[in-house]
Amino acid sequence: MNSPLAPARTAGNTVPFRKILIANRGEIACRVIRTLNAMQIASVAIHHRVEANARHVRMADEAVEIAGETPIAAHLDANAIIAAARSVNADAIHPGYGFLSENAAFARAVADAGLTFIGPNAETIALMGDKISARSFAAAHGVPVAPSVMPTQDIDTFAQEAARIGFPLLIKAAAGGGGKGMSIVRSAAELADAARIAASEAQRYFGDGRVYAELYVERPRHIEVQVLGDGKGGAIHLFERECSVQRRFQKIIEEAPAANLPESACDEMCAAAVRLVSAANYQNAGTVEFILGADGRFFFLEMNTRLQVEHPVTEMITGLDLVRTQIEIAAGYGLPLTQDKVRRSGHAIECRICAEDPARDFLPETGVIQWLDVPAADYLRFENALDLKQRITTDFDPMLAKLVVHGPDRNTAIERSIKALNELTLLGVKTNADYLAAVLGHQAFRAGDLHTGFVAEHRSALLATAPSDVELDHTIIAAVLGFKEFDALAFETPEPFATIGPWRN
Amino acid sequence: MLLIDGQKHEVTVVRRRPQLVLRVNGRDHEVRGRSSPGVGRQALVIDGDSVEFVRAAAGESQFLRLYGRSVEVKLADVRATGANAGAAQDSIKAPMPGAIISVHKAVGETVSRGETVVTIESMKLQTALVSPRDGVIATIERTLGDSFEKDEVIVSLEPLAEEA
Repeated sequence: MNSPLAPARTAGNTVPFRKILIANRGEIACRVIRTLNAMQIASVAIHHRVEANARHVRMADEAVEIAGETPIAAHLDANAIIAAARSVNADAIHPGYGFLSENAAFARAVADAGLTFIGPNAETIALMGDKISARSFAAAHGVPVAPSVMPTQDIDTFAQEAARIGFPLLIKAAAGGGGKGMSIVRSAAELADAARIAASEAQRYFGDGRVYAELYVERPRHIEVQVLGDGKGGAIHLFERECSVQRRFQKIIEEAPAANLPESACDEMCAAAVRLVSAANYQNAGTVEFILGADGRFFFLEMNTRLQVEHPVTEMITGLDLVRTQIEIAAGYGLPLTQDKVRRSGHAIECRICAEDPARDFLPETGVIQWLDVPAADYLRFENALDLKQRITTDFDPMLAKLVVHGPDRNTAIERSIKALNELTLLGVKTNADYLAAVLGHQAFRAGDLHTGFVAEHRSALLATAPSDVELDHTIIAAVLGFKEFDALAFETPEPFATIGPWRN
Repeated sequence: MLLIDGQKHEVTVVRRRPQLVLRVNGRDHEVRGRSSPGVGRQALVIDGDSVEFVRAAAGESQFLRLYGRSVEVKLADVRATGANAGAAQDSIKAPMPGAIISVHKAVGETVSRGETVVTIESMKLQTALVSPRDGVIATIERTLGDSFEKDEVIVSLEPLAEEA
């Protein structure tokens, strides 16, 4: 990101921190390190032994290995990570996203260890981390929430009360996230069973079986507002992002601004988000998520108290570096600018490139990266931590990289994104890159006709068409001549000893 | 035999001169130029069209990007096919129509897996037919100069003794 904030903030060599440990890995760890380098703050990476040579480890000034039965266990070991930070004399921890980034106990332990947690305090994380307390807090501060029924232990009473809201209804886990323990119920007959299943799933995934029901908005759009809070009630927004294109309840394409969003709806959502953040004395960058119905009504969904995966689209239209902003806010420098100084220009789109097979319901794929050519242009960022010969396993999230593209307008951003996706050559593991290009090229996407069921609604149109016979044959020829033995057979073999070995039928 | 997403595709060398002609799924294609096996950006002229692609190899797989697609092309495991086919392990079939140009073994001789039993010529290409397993030659159905059709049994092996 080549948009430094006012240099006066770090003038006189008073940088806010000397050394920051990044409690994360992959692209986001690399992205945080870039900003630390720009701010002349030393960086510390953590890693499990299976990723000792990973890019974030190589990029960091120092690295500490965290032991763990699995790589994920290592990245979730709060005590070991805090001990690592202390062992290298780091003065702050940046949690990235995922892992411990929204873990209140971790934030508290970091503070108790005398370090700065780059994020809000533990109480705010806890408040926003529980869907029910977050929702009540939002409602109390004039942020619209969908009609709902609070959880009870008695499933039958719960079902009766829920039925009064009307259908369809959405059943959710109180402690949930990522679509776990979530289901849509369309009639009273399915309600009790659906609630029971959701409760048992919630118990299994989150150790908390409480579920609640709320009005389900048909063809909802997922709109979220990027906010910044100074911890003393000061808050601004950096406009909205649209994240309606999702599969398996997870975003795959995000953009800013949202397409075809009436200015009044945008203003109302941004104002509601700022009210919430201000009321919570929130201190950090954060995201307030809403669902927006076709009728223009919007409801609070949740607040993410961390840097978001899709933060770069906001950076691209506002020119702000959100990681830098997080660090400066954590250091007590306050907000980087006032609301009236926030400008946006052009349009930005992020595509999440994942190791998965869109033709098989987006199931994760594994492999080894055998070839990597990444798109490059001054209007794009290819956020990744990939290496040639890197093994793509199911140890971590299937997201491999993010392609973030800016354009003067939405159409240009779409065209540039499609071109960049086509230029991306990542061989050795199946990815959704061509699928993402198909989404961007679909007329409904171009028209901005988006809702969270987009992927399901256009399923058949988005799947790759079969290659023509000629394309298929050419592909096979190009492949077969890649085998040394076949190449030699076709071009070199002395006549009497010709063999087509494995190619015999 | 090659596999794309589990679909089988057959490639045979039809002729090598003056230009390489490969038959893929029954369709003939003339190939000019020669790619270097393995990794990289490559180009071939196929049927007069310049075909550019990126290719990477790993073991029994070739990974390609061309025509806007990323594809994995796998070598079908011939041994696995034989094992699954059962009886196929006991015989050598003609992979394509052709003629016998030399016979290297006699009935009753022992052979080891991969050892050449006969050499055939088919569409100007000579091909060694090898034993699918260790065993003893039971019959050789064709002699020098005989022609045959695709899938004809050329050589059969003594069946394996049943496990006691």
